[in-house]
Amino acid sequence: MKNTIKQVFHSGKFLVGFIIFVLILAICFIYPVFVTYDPLEMIGAGNFYKPGTYVSQEEAALNEGYTLNMDASESRLATALGVEELEKMQEYLIKYAGIAEKDIDVTDTEAIVELWQQNYNPDMKAKGLTSAKRKAYRRLDASIENAMKSSGVIIAEEDAESGELKEAKTIKGTGYVNTKDIVNKRTFILGTDNFGRDVLTELVAATKVSLRIGLIAGLIATAVGLILGLVAGYVGGVVDNIIMFLTNLFTVIPSFIILILISYSVGTNARGVMMVAFIIGLTSWPWTTRSVRSQVISLRNRDHVNLSKLSGHSMFRIIFTDILPYIASYVVMAMILQISSGILSEAQLSMIGLGPATTKVATLGLMMNWAMQYAAHLNGSWWAYFPVVIVIALISFSLNLMNTGLDQVFNPQLRD
Amino acid sequence: MKGYKKYYGQKLFWYLLTLIFAVILNFVLPRLMPGDPVSAIAARAVGGMTDSTAIQKVINDYVEKFGINKPMYQQFFMWLGNVLKGDFGVSFSQYPRPVSDIINSAVWWTVALQLPAIIVGWLLGNILGAIAAYIRGVFDKAILPFFLFVSNIPAFGMATILLFVFSIKLGIAPASGGYGYDLIPNVSWTFVKSVIGHYQLPFWSIVLITIGGQAIGMRSMSIYELNADYVKYSRFLGIKDSKIVGYVFRNAMLPQITGLALSLGTMIGGALVAEIIFSYPGLGTTLLTAVTGQDYPLLSACTLIITIMVLIANLVVELLYGVIDPRVKANQQD
Amino acid sequence: MGKVMLEVNHLKTKYVTRFHEDVYAVDDVSLKIEEGKSLGIAGESGCGKSTLALSLIGYYFAPLHYMSGDIIVDGVKISAMKPDEVRKKILGNEVAYIPQAAMNALNPTMKIIRFIEDVMKAHNIKMTKKEVYDMARERFADLGLPEDVLNKHAVELSGGMKQRTVIAISTILSPKVLIADEPSSALDVTSQKMVIRMMRELMEKGYIKSMIFITHELPLLYNVTDDIMVMYAGQIVERGTAKEMVFDPIHPYSKGLMGSIIVPESGVRDHKLTAIPGTPPNLKNPPKGCRFADRCKYATPTCSALAPDMKEFDNGRTYRCLMSVRKIREVYENGGSAEVETEFD
Repeated sequence: MKNTIKQVFHSGKFLVGFIIFVLILAICFIYPVFVTYDPLEMIGAGNFYKPGTYVSQEEAALNEGYTLNMDASESRLATALGVEELEKMQEYLIKYAGIAEKDIDVTDTEAIVELWQQNYNPDMKAKGLTSAKRKAYRRLDASIENAMKSSGVIIAEEDAESGELKEAKTIKGTGYVNTKDIVNKRTFILGTDNFGRDVLTELVAATKVSLRIGLIAGLIATAVGLILGLVAGYVGGVVDNIIMFLTNLFTVIPSFIILILISYSVGTNARGVMMVAFIIGLTSWPWTTRSVRSQVISLRNRDHVNLSKLSGHSMFRIIFTDILPYIASYVVMAMILQISSGILSEAQLSMIGLGPATTKVATLGLMMNWAMQYAAHLNGSWWAYFPVVIVIALISFSLNLMNTGLDQVFNPQLRD
Repeated sequence: MKGYKKYYGQKLFWYLLTLIFAVILNFVLPRLMPGDPVSAIAARAVGGMTDSTAIQKVINDYVEKFGINKPMYQQFFMWLGNVLKGDFGVSFSQYPRPVSDIINSAVWWTVALQLPAIIVGWLLGNILGAIAAYIRGVFDKAILPFFLFVSNIPAFGMATILLFVFSIKLGIAPASGGYGYDLIPNVSWTFVKSVIGHYQLPFWSIVLITIGGQAIGMRSMSIYELNADYVKYSRFLGIKDSKIVGYVFRNAMLPQITGLALSLGTMIGGALVAEIIFSYPGLGTTLLTAVTGQDYPLLSACTLIITIMVLIANLVVELLYGVIDPRVKANQQD
Repeated sequence: MGKVMLEVNHLKTKYVTRFHEDVYAVDDVSLKIEEGKSLGIAGESGCGKSTLALSLIGYYFAPLHYMSGDIIVDGVKISAMKPDEVRKKILGNEVAYIPQAAMNALNPTMKIIRFIEDVMKAHNIKMTKKEVYDMARERFADLGLPEDVLNKHAVELSGGMKQRTVIAISTILSPKVLIADEPSSALDVTSQKMVIRMMRELMEKGYIKSMIFITHELPLLYNVTDDIMVMYAGQIVERGTAKEMVFDPIHPYSKGLMGSIIVPESGVRDHKLTAIPGTPPNLKNPPKGCRFADRCKYATPTCSALAPDMKEFDNGRTYRCLMSVRKIREVYENGGSAEVETEFD
């Protein structure tokens, strides 16, 4: 036993898979110790806030601040003027201001802005310059103006008695605050989701729930598959025929479909996390049954089993002492795969709206489902679903690696 | 020849039996549960939805067609009779469209998407796996872990990745639908072009997923075959290496066909969910509509059609396998 | 006398293990076979006989590597040829090989006739499919194989039939040298006999001009081949005619090996069945002196230090031992048989 475990950990594939899996598991348990926010707290008031640190606007404005001799206009210009805007400016300068193309360098923002300021005439009338286009150019000019401005912003307070506005503070273009001075801030490493929840915290909680679903589904599937496979393989005859017929049936009829039918039928009220795990487990046993059965059949006529039979041992005793120990490695491998496919099944089920009907906990599938329903994939809010996809892929990658590693240890002919 | 006939006969019989079972399951499973279709329909009516007259009409239609008040076995045969006529009732969510009409328009999108995607992915995966097995070394060491990882990304995950890169960031492919939203299906060039454009992302996400798994399986199969005795013997008879590689890959590929048959259901399930990401007008998206719209008739028809599709695909693969691999024939003669 | 079909001079090859260690399984082997003659090579398992079989073909691929020495087939030095030239001109055509595990030697998913067609194509023989078929049918019929084998897949053939089919395919181009590596070991007695008969027929009908038959079953060699060579730890230790080798072995290892078998011939039967104690040396680091010294009961300290060369004595027999033939015979008469070894029987 000790030797086998040693051998297993010598397999590079198993080790890599094991490390990834343990890391994921560790994060699930350690993260909540340090970040104690409620994972489903709706903290953001809108959909999909970008990842980053959010500091209190008021506090930042009222903060004493520091003066840094750093002109912010240039970087503001760079953000205001994308490739499209620069091309528009170039087009205008060539077509309507009569500047030769060779004199314009689109890559030099500063130079082109300078040219623009010298040559742009908002009242220009020319052939082909429709009013829509003219308006577009005006908007462009305004945004350039805005970006170039460095005169500062005045903050006013309303006088409680007279209702007059009184200048309270001027914020200059060169005014900066140190984020450390600001007390009210929160970092969303992965932004927020459609409900305004912190994606990272939610993701950690969801991973934990999904792993639990996978584990329960895997346990159920393995238990059912193991029992059916043992009975079919050991008893043989009619029993074997019936079990194999059912197994083949449920291999050909996609389990995904049965999963949908059952999940829909149990109704939203009954469909909690446990129920979903249970249903997934009950629909994914055929694989295990198949492999356990073939293993048992090859063991059934071995000498040590025959010896036990001749000694008059009971069927249970033979199964437990002469068969189970030999197929234990297969069962473990099958279970590892079942866990991984259970997690995937939950995700797919949730994506078509048949996942756990709950708002109390998140699962990886539900996070995916919410993100898709709020079109995160169409409006570029990658942080709401990419991390989920990566976590699912990593979990299943690590479990599969472990499975391959075990396979190579226990089936040496597969070693290459 | 006799061996083949026996093989085909058995296969056909078995699939017929499976089909009957699948049909029964499709009918019985929802009715065994507390939320059976009848109460689901009743709940809709009582819930006082927006268009209560419409819902009432659907219920009447359903009760009449499917004999809800009759005993279960009578219901089953009525339901079966209607299904055989292609009549699945009227949809709740898209009233008054008949379910068969919705299915009919969705099913071809799915077939046209998944069939070529799975075949192309299978072929490319096998070729890549074979190359990895033959070349080994650095290529193998670098490519294999990559494919191992890729094959573990769920189909919908791959779909979101492709969507993000090619549609949102690069803007070179449309993000959703089966054709431009401003078009009405017809046979004009614009429409066909739009369909082809919309086809790319769903197609490649299924292909990429399929490639990963197949490449890994093919690689280990090929390595096993490359060490087979017949390889050495053929070499010593002076047969060219390129020809021998041909033998090896053919032999390695045959078990991959069985593998395909076994995993077809899982693959199609994953691909259906990937459709949803692109709002592709196929069965996957229809399933989602049915679930969100609490549209029982539509859902039940969807699951039945998908099951039948998977069964047919499996049958075709197995029959094909019987023709290609002489080992099957040899087994039948024993 | 006859024309020399195969001549091998000081052949040395090595194979590389999975752990990148070099194993010199064929070390300085020389041999000669004339037209119409057959040569048996015997030895314990692991003595390098299978590697020798592969090395003699003259076509090397990993993990087997050619180091030095010459292989001359009917006057053509194939060890100097380019691999692809060897493949096209020699393999199957001049030198043919029958593998140890013929059970899996045929591609299971290919019809036998398709494979024969591929063999023809590989040697640029211009024949139509029909001509190939007719030729194959004739050859198969001549060797007592049913015609319908040609249209079957390997999986559909029984073990013995598979082995005979492999032999027929190997010799379809009438090679000058046939190298058979334990062609009958895995078969039941009836099939074994049929295979042996077939090998003899091949020689008699002139489908092959010479043959090397490798086995660990010495009685087989006595019945099948003209000459016998005994191999130990990658080297040839003795060569003589079958009769000489069985009734009058010179080298202590040959003596031990002959003692460990039963030759089904009256007069030999009373030989005691004995085993040679010990195991062959590790070929990763072959011993400096005589390779058999560790297991030789007549060994002196000199034996472990000095490597013996091949010595020739009367009518072309050769052996590899530091002792002279006279001395050996003396030793055998005086004390050889007096030594008590593990006895069977």
